[in-house]
Amino acid sequence: MEETNKNNPLEGITKEKTQEIVEETLAIYPEKARAKRAPHMSANDPEDAGCAIRSNRKTVPGVMSARGCAYAGAKGVVWGPIRDMVHVSHGPIGCGYYSWGTRRNLVEGTMGVDVFSAMQFTSDFQEKDIVYGGDKKLEVLCREAKELFPLTKGISVLSECPVGLIGDDINAVAKKSAEELDIPVVPCNCEGFRGVSQSLGHHISNDTIRDHIIGTREFSEPIGKYDVAIIGDYNIGGDAWASKKVLEEMGLTVKAVWTGDGQIEHIAATHQVKLNLIHCYRSMNYMAKVMEEKYGIPWMEFNFFGPTKIAESLREIAAQFDEQIQENAEKVIAKYTAPMQRVIDEYRPRLEGKRLLIFVGGLRPRHTIGAYEDLGMKVVASGYEFAHNDDYERTYPELDKGTLVFDDASELELEKWVEEFRPDLVASGVKEKYVFQKAGIPFRQMHSWDYSGPYHAYDGFPIFARDMDMAINSPTWGLVKAPF
Amino acid sequence: MAKKLRQIAIYGKGGIGKSTTTQNTVAGLASLGKKILIIGCDPKADSTRLILHAKAQDTVMDKVRELGTVEDLELEDVMRTGYAGINCVESGGPEPGVGCAGRGVITAINFLEEEGAYTPDLDYVFYDVLGDVVCGGFAMPIRENKAQEIYIVVSGEMMAMYAANNICKGIVKYAASGSVRLAGLICNSRETDKEAELIEALAAKLGTQMIHFVPRDNQVQRAELRRMTVIEYSPEHKQAQEYRDLALKISENKKFVIPTPLTMDELEGLLMEFGIMEEDDEEIIGKVEGA
Amino acid sequence: MSEQCAIKKVTEITTEEVDRIKAWINTEEYKEKNLAREALVVNPAHACQPLGAQLVAHGFESTLPFVHGSQGCASYYRSSLNRHFREPAPAVSDAMTEDGAVFGGQNNLHEGLENAYALYKPKMIAVFTSCMPEVIGDDLNSYIQNARNEEIIPQDYPVPYANTPSFNGSHVQGYDPMLKSIVECLGGGKRVEGKNNGRLNLIPGFDTCTGNYREYKRIMKAFDIPCTMLADISETFDSPLTGTYHPFPGGTPLDETADVLNSQATIALQSYATKLTTKWMAQNTDAPVETLSMPIGVKKTDELLLKISELFDKPVPEELIAERGRVVDAMTDAHQYLHNKKFAIYGDPDWLLGMVSFLLEMGAKPYHILCSRSNKKFAKTLQALLDTSPYGADCNIWINKDLWHLRSLCATDPVDAMIGNCHGKFITRDLGIPLIRAGYPIIDRVNLHRYPTVGYQGTMNLLTWTVNTLLDQVDATCEDRNFEIMR
Repeated sequence: MEETNKNNPLEGITKEKTQEIVEETLAIYPEKARAKRAPHMSANDPEDAGCAIRSNRKTVPGVMSARGCAYAGAKGVVWGPIRDMVHVSHGPIGCGYYSWGTRRNLVEGTMGVDVFSAMQFTSDFQEKDIVYGGDKKLEVLCREAKELFPLTKGISVLSECPVGLIGDDINAVAKKSAEELDIPVVPCNCEGFRGVSQSLGHHISNDTIRDHIIGTREFSEPIGKYDVAIIGDYNIGGDAWASKKVLEEMGLTVKAVWTGDGQIEHIAATHQVKLNLIHCYRSMNYMAKVMEEKYGIPWMEFNFFGPTKIAESLREIAAQFDEQIQENAEKVIAKYTAPMQRVIDEYRPRLEGKRLLIFVGGLRPRHTIGAYEDLGMKVVASGYEFAHNDDYERTYPELDKGTLVFDDASELELEKWVEEFRPDLVASGVKEKYVFQKAGIPFRQMHSWDYSGPYHAYDGFPIFARDMDMAINSPTWGLVKAPF
Repeated sequence: MAKKLRQIAIYGKGGIGKSTTTQNTVAGLASLGKKILIIGCDPKADSTRLILHAKAQDTVMDKVRELGTVEDLELEDVMRTGYAGINCVESGGPEPGVGCAGRGVITAINFLEEEGAYTPDLDYVFYDVLGDVVCGGFAMPIRENKAQEIYIVVSGEMMAMYAANNICKGIVKYAASGSVRLAGLICNSRETDKEAELIEALAAKLGTQMIHFVPRDNQVQRAELRRMTVIEYSPEHKQAQEYRDLALKISENKKFVIPTPLTMDELEGLLMEFGIMEEDDEEIIGKVEGA
Repeated sequence: MSEQCAIKKVTEITTEEVDRIKAWINTEEYKEKNLAREALVVNPAHACQPLGAQLVAHGFESTLPFVHGSQGCASYYRSSLNRHFREPAPAVSDAMTEDGAVFGGQNNLHEGLENAYALYKPKMIAVFTSCMPEVIGDDLNSYIQNARNEEIIPQDYPVPYANTPSFNGSHVQGYDPMLKSIVECLGGGKRVEGKNNGRLNLIPGFDTCTGNYREYKRIMKAFDIPCTMLADISETFDSPLTGTYHPFPGGTPLDETADVLNSQATIALQSYATKLTTKWMAQNTDAPVETLSMPIGVKKTDELLLKISELFDKPVPEELIAERGRVVDAMTDAHQYLHNKKFAIYGDPDWLLGMVSFLLEMGAKPYHILCSRSNKKFAKTLQALLDTSPYGADCNIWINKDLWHLRSLCATDPVDAMIGNCHGKFITRDLGIPLIRAGYPIIDRVNLHRYPTVGYQGTMNLLTWTVNTLLDQVDATCEDRNFEIMR
């Protein structure tokens, strides 16, 4: 695999040119909004601190933001994937309805019997619940959930906006219900009006795991020296299964996954593992830090997108263990080198030099860059919906100088950048997908893997490569221009 | 030809006698031959008991809670007719400290509008609204196309006047974008010193009028014990005449203004002028007893 | 030591336990417990009001839907529509946060209007609410008037608005106030005495099948009657791929909408999604305002065509009469596959009435009918429809129940197939019966929303899907000795 030299800027892309594009982009805004948006986009220059962009600020009202809310972060990301709990969307019908089954957190088990992730549980607030409060209803609801789903290992109560506005005390209800039902009932005050994006929902959810879950169980088998946990893999399209497989092939024991295909009791006993491996840093770094402080468990980030980054990560992970594991890691890398090369040989010629714009959440705007580069593709612009400064610090070095880095882009900004950079692929979400496809730009949904996947690890890369090729080289693009 | 419906909201500090004044005034208007609907907008739900001779009427929210949903509620479940054909509805709501009483007001008024409670034969709709304008829900009765006249029940007590002034601030906000206006202060006497003059002065500063001074009279309590208005209980009593006078003044009132609320300093100045409040003695502020 | 002993061990659920519960959830005992639920809702078949409001807004020319509330709400409505139609759904929110909850949302609304107006240059901004402003009681009318007074938007710029609390009704109820506000905002006060523009105002209601809108337009074209569709989402959510993105590719023209009070007649095709709008129309024009059923099946389509014919004094066009003959022919050819077959169907009230009518026409039995948000009046109307046919005799009506209830019902009292949105697929998979997809949302199959389910043409589609799905099921599940070439 070729080394990419970040100091050789992409042809036609310079810091000055990109900065000009930024200025032109900002010109679309009224004055006040322009001032607010200006610090959120910049030409990349890892050596120039002045290029650092501002993040985790309120979205500008009236622009078409892609962001969700704290509830979305709690339900969709952290709590929802835990398979053996009943996750209650507490409040009116909508939030639970729209987040129902749309994030593709696959699970093992029998739906409605021992796993519940693909189901939608809600208290479906009516006017009367707003006026009189919903605490009593919640209490009854928890009882009904336990009775009808007796194998549930717990209940999470995810507050929607009205619950916080009318001052319900879900914490008291949860405490009482947990005692009565003898399962964890976790109150999560993740009302959508809190914070500026889904990011606060991740944080609030991490805090509830800290306060109600971690350390409440121990593994039944003896603790092993190779015990690890995967933190921040949500098993989208089976990602966590692919990741787990590689780690176990190199001799590690994955005791828990947070939270894809997650089991709450395994999560509760994670304080016993030897190392926490963080994939999505944004959504789960809080708990990794808590476990480090409280239980002395070290943590490290890794990247399982594309063979180059996978190999790097496997070596870094192995370095935390003994020679046996290090030897295993080399064997695993060697085992997969040829099959991965076959994938690259097949797709790279079709993708070489293709450019893309990435706009997603969590980790992907930086973590997928390597996988694209394995296929000969180059990122011309990359941005996050809800990142913080530490995400951007990790991103600048991954991108070429002069490429565009941005935060909480509005749809009009994206349109402008696509027009200027003319990428061959846009990698973003469902709200953006059809905008760019109408404009004739190939697109992949990179939240949901566009209903494909997994994309993680060695099982994922062939699918990732196939999908990118499919998007860019679909014969349907040849039909767009009518002959008349 | 449909009559011109007048929608009136009565605001005022809690405990000021708002509901009693409203019901007696409405009874007075009814005795003038007017057709009236009272909508109680207070979770305490005591805005209609004197008209209905009832301890408590089934409220909209109580029935909604019972049925589970607004969709299955019928108008006849919650509307009662009492003295002199006055229609009565209570919005209802939670005990203090839980839920959202303000939303109850919105739910109830939306329901009444949809179900056709505002019939063409009505002359007046009266909204009897909880204390101060505490959240958006309690301002529902003064939104566009609802009450356009507001009367504030007040007395010569300091807190009542503070509350009246605050309510005026709320009215100013809504008046800027709509047609809601302050129609006057109703002084429900507590027999404080120079009460009438004081309220006249306050009214003048607010740019409005004291539409009527209702003297204190135990006949009101005697009637209330029987869950009746004075007008019904003892129509010949002089207090009944007071309410009829007030009703007549309301029916003839044309003075609708955007109020000019006082600043805190102005209000305190007024109170000092009338000797209700003494000037701060800077010497004693923050000193503990015996210091 | 003692403290450590107190911590419980990680346990695993045994396969025996799983098997026991798996069997238990299919029992009568479980069904009774399940139906006794008071507080918990599992797998509902309805969304919230603002979704309906947004759908309406998308149906007008150059109109930007604007969510007054938390930004996450707007993202949810948009992505829900994106997934169903596989099309863009441009909408903005004013991103209210904690401070808005305390001080009210006027500042957010004003800033949002300023930016939305400047950036997207829509001809109309349609404002509707999510939960937060509804709970705190924001007054949209005064906020919007203040925005005009402060010159944030021009005095005469159309900003219709609707209160759409998510804790009341469903997406169906949210459709109506937004539509009413739009027609009132554009057409209010524009009734000209004696004027008749010769048009039909057609109100489809909450309908996420773009094929249906095209079918209505085709029918009106056959009648040669100009039609003002209130609202027309067919271009917005089924626009051509040309290499150029248009945020507002279609919708009913605003000037056409402005003339609604001068139309010859108005027909609404969903009673539960159009109540406020039709009431307003009736109050403001002397022209007839009729509410009919959704024209699913032959009889309901006949009713629509007869009504149009009567209102405009024109005969039903020959081509539609021929079409009717063809669909009746197809129904007769296929009746043997549907006769006495039991169906579970779930969805919105007006759609259910249409579907039930169609099934009864086929001699099929609507058996479990579930509407997860409606009222007793609807149950009565539905019962009256069932009473018109012997095939409706055994039917069970389930109001305000959800799909987990329906699972129990179908497990204990089985049906041959289900008709409804894609959320039913868990039931049909568990019970080994087929699902015919119709309604909202359908996010696991392509293009179904492009095929009409109304009119004779739509009835033909429904017939084809239903029968062929049942036959596929026979081929997939029959024993080898019964596997034949002919069906």
